[in-house]
Amino acid sequence: MLKAAIVGCGKIADAHALQIQRIAGCEIVGVCDSEPLMARQMFERFPIRAHFSDLAELVAAARPDVVHVTTPPESHFKLARFCLEHGCHVYVEKPFTLHAADAAALIALANSRGLKVTVGHDDQFSHVAQRMRRLIASGYLGGTPVHLESHYCYDLGEAYGRVLLGDRHHWVRRLPGKLLHNIISHGIARIAEYLHGDSVEVITQGFVSRQLRRLGETEIVDELRVLMRDDQDTTASFTFSSQLRPTLHQFRVYGPRNSVILDQDHETLLTIPGTGFKSYGDKFFPPMLMAKQHLANLVTNAKIFLARDFHMKSGMKYLIESFYRSVSDGSPVPIPYREILLTANLMDSIFEQLAAKPSSRLADDDRSDRQAAFRRA
Amino acid sequence: MRDGLQMDDRSIAGVDDTILVTGAAGFIGSVLVEALLAHGYRQVRCLVRPGSSLLRLDRALRAAGPRIDLVKGNLLSRADCLTAARDAAVIFHLAAGRGEKSFPDSFMNSVVATRNLLDAAVQADSLRRFVNVSSFTVYSNREKQHGRLLDESCPVESRPDLRGDAYCFSKVKQDQIVREYGDRFGVRYVIVRPGYVYGPGKPAITGRVGIDTFGIFLHLGGSNRIPFTYVDNCADAILKAGLIPGVDGRVFNIVDDDLPSSRQFLRQYKRQVRHFRSIYLPHAVSYSLCWLWESYSRWSQGQLPPTFNRRSWHAHWKRTRYSNTRLKTELGWSPQVPTMEGFRRYFASCQGQRRHA
Repeated sequence: MLKAAIVGCGKIADAHALQIQRIAGCEIVGVCDSEPLMARQMFERFPIRAHFSDLAELVAAARPDVVHVTTPPESHFKLARFCLEHGCHVYVEKPFTLHAADAAALIALANSRGLKVTVGHDDQFSHVAQRMRRLIASGYLGGTPVHLESHYCYDLGEAYGRVLLGDRHHWVRRLPGKLLHNIISHGIARIAEYLHGDSVEVITQGFVSRQLRRLGETEIVDELRVLMRDDQDTTASFTFSSQLRPTLHQFRVYGPRNSVILDQDHETLLTIPGTGFKSYGDKFFPPMLMAKQHLANLVTNAKIFLARDFHMKSGMKYLIESFYRSVSDGSPVPIPYREILLTANLMDSIFEQLAAKPSSRLADDDRSDRQAAFRRA
Repeated sequence: MRDGLQMDDRSIAGVDDTILVTGAAGFIGSVLVEALLAHGYRQVRCLVRPGSSLLRLDRALRAAGPRIDLVKGNLLSRADCLTAARDAAVIFHLAAGRGEKSFPDSFMNSVVATRNLLDAAVQADSLRRFVNVSSFTVYSNREKQHGRLLDESCPVESRPDLRGDAYCFSKVKQDQIVREYGDRFGVRYVIVRPGYVYGPGKPAITGRVGIDTFGIFLHLGGSNRIPFTYVDNCADAILKAGLIPGVDGRVFNIVDDDLPSSRQFLRQYKRQVRHFRSIYLPHAVSYSLCWLWESYSRWSQGQLPPTFNRRSWHAHWKRTRYSNTRLKTELGWSPQVPTMEGFRRYFASCQGQRRHA
């Protein structure tokens, strides 16, 4: 029996508890939150042995094998380090840490203690993401990816937007990448999986959208475009937008022979063959074949639903399950440490460039001035 | 000064005492603030979240000027709570985590926020009464026959975690913590539980009438009476619950007189606001569907969340009668706005909103 514990009893902790419950052979032995009421409410709603308001007490009393860190990102490093130092494997919600150096330190600590860590990039373990991974591993692309495109959008929404924009002390504002820091790692991690080496060139453009500027916001960057190139000339582009509709969560991988498109929201995977049809055949057969693929996706999704495995966070279940397996039988961790580190490094680069280029967050007037100057020139 | 309540004679707070209203910019809060001002209170402190729209409070702010002390703060901040509760003789606690689907978010914004406010009130040591605005949603309504009366003596949901409704869970726990502070620290409190509060500016149709989750409006209420209370009447009841002496520790349900049935309401809404297609589901059918949903949710380990279940059916769609007897006898409340007039204003407002949409 694998003993799990959760530290941080907010919204995402519920998802963890629900998915841990679905995994055979494990038990939640404790939950912890610095706010005792929050720990208690979670304890009352799930089959959990005990609740705590102090992590040291939890670790000492419940003696978990794995601790899930589901607190706001600022505390990830400190809490994960504490758990590793006390002999627990650690699952850290995204973003893994605030800085790549902290990520490297945690991984080094885990390795030195013979423990394991992973990060909550659960989207990469959804049914459709697993299908895509298998397809690419089978050689469908016809070689190393030529280009990757990741869209990870976010609808700020009325409620969250109002809270975040209205609260000058909201914890999201304290993150180096602010709103982006809390959200984009899912989309960046998808790219990191298919980039090579540790040295990736990054060019970033980010700005505060017109809508947010109209609301008086000046520091929350909610439009981000990033270009990347690795040492094997695989390129990637990343788009984050709060304005774009629909709020895309897509990943496209273009290979030298064929390409694939993953749509996370609709759980669909489409293959784009590199070869076409002759003459007018190219106008009629591809749409037909595309319709067939959509139908196949529908059937696949329906089958998974009927098999009771189409939960909204099913990717999290598979990630947790794989991580627990790696803890139990020594198999490799589900997310290679290279990917965790590369994701952290890419995010560091993006936020450093945003911080260094305030011109990328031009207000309307500044932009108009620059455009006028450009026209004069 | 309004008739019906002579504050100087029968109020636990004088007109110069500080009265705190949390959630003051909300639908009920803004009307309550106006009612307090109309009763002559000169130190009305309004706590609103940073970033909240002050549109609803605008009329009161313009009319009352310096008599309103507008405090922008978050009840999750203990410092903000201390600022808000300082010298408060009466606290009307209306702020809540409404509309949150997530249990932790709803709990934090209701229960943790309430605890912070209670702690601040205990520290301030000036409180004469804490008015906790709860909800009808806390009643389980299960252990009684179809059509029986639901009043303040009815049991509260014993397992609110099984209702599948974050708001219900939070409100049950919020009531518990208020009672706990009453027992432990001697905080004098009153709990008020409004039914469905309606009025201009809140166009939504209550789920007790039906739901449009599945693309077509499913009419579930049928001949059930709907526990409506017009926003002015509700604010008046809350005001009296906060100020009239001798009711510490009491619970008051707030519903108006002459409650329409769900069918009557829906017919009028379609006639006066907009027409849309609806399908009536008899109670036996809606109960069976709730049972099916609940069973599937359990069997599938939450593939569908347990939003619809037998507990929620009992709470929302079981035929029930409602009483405001305690409100009338102990607080001397009577609805200032008759139900007919309330709905006339409500429908007119809905029509206006449609024209401007």
